[in-house]
Amino acid sequence: MSYIEVNHITKSFKVAKKKSGLKESFKSFFKRDYKIVEAVKDISFSIEKGEIVGYIGPNGAGKSTTIKILSGILTPDSGKCKVGKQTPWIDRKEYVKKIGVVFGQRSQLWWDIPAEDTFDLLKDIYDIPEERYQKTKEELVEKLNLKDIINVPVRQLSLGQRMRCEIAASLLHEPEILFLDEPTIGLDAISKQLVRDFIKRINKEKKTTIILTTHDMSDIDALAKRIILIGKGQVLYDGSLQKLKNNYANKKYITVNTKDAINIRTKGVLKKEKTKDGYLFTIDSKELNISDFLNVISKKVQIEDVEIDNENLDNMIVNLYEDLKI
Amino acid sequence: MRAYLSYFKLRFITHLQYRAAAWAGIATQVFFGFVYIMVYIAFYESGSASLPMQLPQLITYIWLNQALLSLVNLFYKDQELFSLVKTGNIAYELARPKNMYFMWYFKIIGERLSKVVLRAIPFIIFLMFLPEPYRISLPASFEHFLLFLSTMTAGTLLMTSIIALYPIITMHTLNEKGVVGIIISISDIFSGLVVPIPFFPKFLQTISKCMPFQYVSDLPFRIYVGNIGLQEGLIGLIIQIIWIIILITLGYILMQKSLKKVVVQGG
Amino acid sequence: MKVYLKHLGLHLKSLLEYKASFITSFLSQIIVFFSYYFIILALFTKFDNIKGFTLYEVLLCFAVIQFGFAFNESFARGLDHFDELIIKGEFDRILLRPKNILLQVCGYEADYTKVSRLIQALIVLVIALINLKIEWSIMKVITLLLMLLSAIAVFFSIFLLAASYCFITVQGLEVRNVFTAGGKHMAQYPIGVFKKGFVYFFTFIIPYAFVNYYPLLYFLGKTNNPLYALSPLLVFVYLIPCFLIFYKGTKRYASAGS
Repeated sequence: MSYIEVNHITKSFKVAKKKSGLKESFKSFFKRDYKIVEAVKDISFSIEKGEIVGYIGPNGAGKSTTIKILSGILTPDSGKCKVGKQTPWIDRKEYVKKIGVVFGQRSQLWWDIPAEDTFDLLKDIYDIPEERYQKTKEELVEKLNLKDIINVPVRQLSLGQRMRCEIAASLLHEPEILFLDEPTIGLDAISKQLVRDFIKRINKEKKTTIILTTHDMSDIDALAKRIILIGKGQVLYDGSLQKLKNNYANKKYITVNTKDAINIRTKGVLKKEKTKDGYLFTIDSKELNISDFLNVISKKVQIEDVEIDNENLDNMIVNLYEDLKI
Repeated sequence: MRAYLSYFKLRFITHLQYRAAAWAGIATQVFFGFVYIMVYIAFYESGSASLPMQLPQLITYIWLNQALLSLVNLFYKDQELFSLVKTGNIAYELARPKNMYFMWYFKIIGERLSKVVLRAIPFIIFLMFLPEPYRISLPASFEHFLLFLSTMTAGTLLMTSIIALYPIITMHTLNEKGVVGIIISISDIFSGLVVPIPFFPKFLQTISKCMPFQYVSDLPFRIYVGNIGLQEGLIGLIIQIIWIIILITLGYILMQKSLKKVVVQGG
Repeated sequence: MKVYLKHLGLHLKSLLEYKASFITSFLSQIIVFFSYYFIILALFTKFDNIKGFTLYEVLLCFAVIQFGFAFNESFARGLDHFDELIIKGEFDRILLRPKNILLQVCGYEADYTKVSRLIQALIVLVIALINLKIEWSIMKVITLLLMLLSAIAVFFSIFLLAASYCFITVQGLEVRNVFTAGGKHMAQYPIGVFKKGFVYFFTFIIPYAFVNYYPLLYFLGKTNNPLYALSPLLVFVYLIPCFLIFYKGTKRYASAGS
């Protein structure tokens, strides 16, 4: 039995159809059509205690619906979900004490007053004993380097500083599970690094289970060993990041700068694009050895420069989405 | 001009989307009309010697107010506009090649007209079939009606000229509630939305004449019911036009000034 | 409850960050309130009574209703603005907290500028009481207190119902004004002066009459029936189904989402 068990969860919504144009607007003023959208259908996965899981997928794939179900905000139409011994949407008050949620695009800090005041409020909201609260707070202040910023009104903080406070606010009650929804969105490189290092650290020290949704693949690369890929409401891939990389890493990008025209039809050349100074080839290195490929070309044309690139994670995901048609 | 018109059209379409809001709006205003009328009926039934308006006139006045509320209501709260001003994102608007003051002007008219087009006509037809004494009366005469149409049009422009000042004031005070709030509360009284101007004590009637608010709605409605004669009504129309010119000029100049300020500050 | 009070404290602290705007807002609230007061004064310069109720009798009624409304606007603002909570997704955040949902919603916003209305309502109440020749008794003191408390309760129950409506859709919320602003406007006058249909509506659908009419009759000595004095208690009974509807709404939200 895993720590988090999600079994065959399905959830659908009723959505009004929108039409454009003056005439259609007039029509829908009197009569409106609805359609049923299945946000998630039959999703199952399980997560062990202390894991960091990257939960990824394109916009509208059903990510936030799943997160809402897991955090007890939404009740699914059917399916089961157990976290520890509890079902998130039953006995909400007890369950939410165990979880922390950070929304990268929404703030739980009070805008006009220092973050520390929000922390004090959270102490009462979560009924944290004074001693524990002071200890946890000090720890978070130290680890996230918040000493100089928690006494300043939040509106005066930079985005990076605010996100650090935001994360601290979600961890004051020492949750067992932390949901991070785009935690690094809009942050600069240094702040991103700081946030990631911190997430790794609490995962290691406190065995906090972390579920991360993001569009930033470098977040995933830095943090998650395992990813769950969701598209059109279904789980499309669930496994290690490394394996995914291996599957797609045989794609190589070779830029050849030349003034001559190249005509090549060999098995293993997936794509040929004309660039300003020559061509960009996409090669499947399992089918076609790179040195063989270069040999063939160099015999035909005068090469000025060659550059070989590996597939990066962003492209990999784009390709994956394309392959899976989501 | 084309750009302004398409801006207007866009606003219009946006507001058509809010179907439930429109139906709810009609229901609300019918109810409110009844509420106001009930209060007056209770007063009129309690008897009094000299009254500035007859009950049927007053009832028609109230219904016009409700049916055409979007054209005369000086309460305005548009988060989009105000947040644009408060966050300083207004600097981006400068990048557009059109005059911002008139863009706002058309935006406001577009919103208001879209609301009225949907609500007013079915609303007024409904009111014509109400039982006495709640029924809305016909205009006092054809001439009164023509004058009503002209003063109503001018009143709508006047309303827009006043509202278009709100975001400009907000640019200076950086708070949409304070000064604008005070203007709105004062206009609430002096536009006759709560009590028609003839019911005011004499000295307040005099003060009211020096402000633009009563010319937005009180003037056209009283012309419609025949409480104001044709000659007096024509003078009112001239005063309306003078106010419109003054306020648009003021708004335009203030806008140019504050835009310069924004540029200097670098947004 | 402690958490709710803490919310109020933090709102005050936030407010003090913007002193100037607080002062102007406070001022504009005074003018708004005055405009309500002004309507009644203006009408009583043309009429000398409304169905037998004199100016100060009406003002007493007015003060009680305005007090109840301003109290809710000040301290249950989050409930009044519940549609915003839903749209912004703040309600999700509230569901993530291990505390009573309703108190969190009420504490989400506090509007201290509306306290000015609260104060003015009490001033008008005092003016009315001074000018009315009341034969005081313990029962009358209790009646007045019940009227004030039930005024708070009646608006709170309407806010609750309107908030529950937001669980279904946030469109067309203007209807809420029918019951709050519209009801308030009528209830400034003793409900009994209106036509039968309206009286029934504001007795049985929304119980304004038990706040400002039946107990008022007793308070002004127009009846000696003590049941009239205690009738505001019915408003508290009315609150119960409103609570239940709201909690049903939160359940529905969890199954429908936003």
